[in-house]
Amino acid sequence: MPSFKTPFQGYSVKFSPFHPNLLAVATAQNFGILGNGRLHVLSLSGGAGPAPITSPFSFDTADGIYDLAWSESHDSLLIAAVADGSLKLLDTSLPPTANPVRSLSEHSREASSLDFHPTRRDSFLSSSWDDSVKLWALDRPQSLRTFLEHSYCVYSVVWHPRHADVFASASGDRTVRIWDVRDPNSTQVVPAHDHEILTCDWNKYDECVFATGSVDRSIRVWDVRSHRAPLSVIEGHGYAVRKVKFSPHNARIIGSCSYDMSVCFWDYGKEDSCIGRYDHHTEFAVGIDMSVLVEGLVASTGWDGMVYAWQLGTDPRAPM
Amino acid sequence: MASNAQQPPPQGDGRPPKPWEQSGGSGSSGPSPFKPPSAGSTSDVVEASGTAKPGEIVPTANRIGTANTNALGRPLPARPWEQNYGTTNYGGYGSSLSYNSGYGSGMYGGLGGGTYGGMGGGMYGGGLYGNSMYRGGYGGYGGYGGGLYGSSMYGSGMYGSGIGGTMGGYGMGMGGPYGVPDPNDPYGGGPTPPPGFWISFLRVMQGVVNFFGRVSILIDQNTQAFHMFMTALLQLFDRSGMLYGELARFALRLLGVKTKPRKVDQWQGPDGLRLPGPEDPNPVQGFTKPQKAVPAQGSWDNVWGSETN
Repeated sequence: MPSFKTPFQGYSVKFSPFHPNLLAVATAQNFGILGNGRLHVLSLSGGAGPAPITSPFSFDTADGIYDLAWSESHDSLLIAAVADGSLKLLDTSLPPTANPVRSLSEHSREASSLDFHPTRRDSFLSSSWDDSVKLWALDRPQSLRTFLEHSYCVYSVVWHPRHADVFASASGDRTVRIWDVRDPNSTQVVPAHDHEILTCDWNKYDECVFATGSVDRSIRVWDVRSHRAPLSVIEGHGYAVRKVKFSPHNARIIGSCSYDMSVCFWDYGKEDSCIGRYDHHTEFAVGIDMSVLVEGLVASTGWDGMVYAWQLGTDPRAPM
Repeated sequence: MASNAQQPPPQGDGRPPKPWEQSGGSGSSGPSPFKPPSAGSTSDVVEASGTAKPGEIVPTANRIGTANTNALGRPLPARPWEQNYGTTNYGGYGSSLSYNSGYGSGMYGGLGGGTYGGMGGGMYGGGLYGNSMYRGGYGGYGGYGGGLYGSSMYGSGMYGSGIGGTMGGYGMGMGGPYGVPDPNDPYGGGPTPPPGFWISFLRVMQGVVNFFGRVSILIDQNTQAFHMFMTALLQLFDRSGMLYGELARFALRLLGVKTKPRKVDQWQGPDGLRLPGPEDPNPVQGFTKPQKAVPAQGSWDNVWGSETN
């Protein structure tokens, strides 16, 4: 299956919600500690050839890019979360000189994650190391609202897939907070781990269930209605879990990537939950996504600069 | 790739539906814990709820110790950029707002940011230090301007004496010698001159603080993977070439010791692009091209010995 080597280190990878062959990867030079960033849009050619993945579009930034989000309303629109705290709106149909179409600079520290509204499709969320989450609408030049309750870096923010006003944020303060954009404060605080929480995601088929990944190496699955104890605890990664992602096609499958350099897939309903483990990265694996449009197609990226896209059950490194 | 064949039919607006949208139902048993969603666009919903607060900028430093944020009652570590580094408090936080901002007014004042931010981009944007090692620095400057000249909000207590004095010495043309807070005319009139030495120095310090901040955050995330992380870090130093040596040279310069300029076959000055290394097939281009718009006499550039270029 295809792979692509980026000149910098990968930080995040996401499939386009419009085109099954497109994905984008956010990269940062020198492991995101210092240097430039570059966002690549990658095209899977879908056949054997000298270049199974090509990069029809790339965009350079003066600081590393930590995350990206595809617009759910325009197939050429992307947002990049830059380590200088700014968010860049990019239009891949425009020449590089016309980009970014907008630069939003309100976060005062590194912007860490982005999520585009999946149902209303007119807004997006950003989180930052300045402890805040911001809500932005495409029709406004400034953020609509800032959500301030976390007391440490917010590493991940994700909209609820069904409830248009609800989202969750995961923070280094060891809590996940559930928010309703109409309420002044968070609606729930879930002290989900005893260490920093780096990531969270909602189950797409059970509106009450979400998963978290933490520095304590575990993935925990929670029900918002009773969060005294997790529904499930998945141990299996050797180091901090950097990203978790619920499958868009299966209610019980979770993908994860970790500082132990592996990408794993889990069925959280099973006793022996690991259903796939991929050790194709040679550095920290920090980005994972599962295609919404093609069942079983997954992608990962890591600090080795590699981007892999492969069908579950096959070897990511196998030649086409 | 078995991909194209499975593409669902597009919806009215072109985006294929999500698999879970087609399945229907909430999937959960029992009543939903969430309030039903409101109709309308996100901006309408938020504005109707009365919780909208457009463009709110929140300096992190203000929030330390705020009640009700740490739900667990457990002590949390101080972030590296918050530790005893007075000059960074607002320097850093103003920065991202001011630098590169189309909407840069707000709390910290857009003028300072615009002036210095733009200048930073021009002078350092394409250079080695600008975009790799110290890119945090020019960002910090915008905010620094805010703190110093701006505005009474943060007062000049923190900056007034030490830094302000130096600024005065460099003829920033302020109303008062040390940037006396003047909310009506915080920046004086006219364009500001290029940054003086100490400003450049502080900018670099901001960059260094940013650098260690990020290193520290990454170490936090990798408590168990620390040795692996250090390997990566050493690689980084190796590749970006002797940070220590550069810092030592810089310190010597500060003390007035003349040191030999580094050979330019590996490094370029602030007006050049970074040279591609063996592991870096694509040189930085486009976005970070230097603009050479601002002369930088006596400023940071020369400190690094690139005047020999």
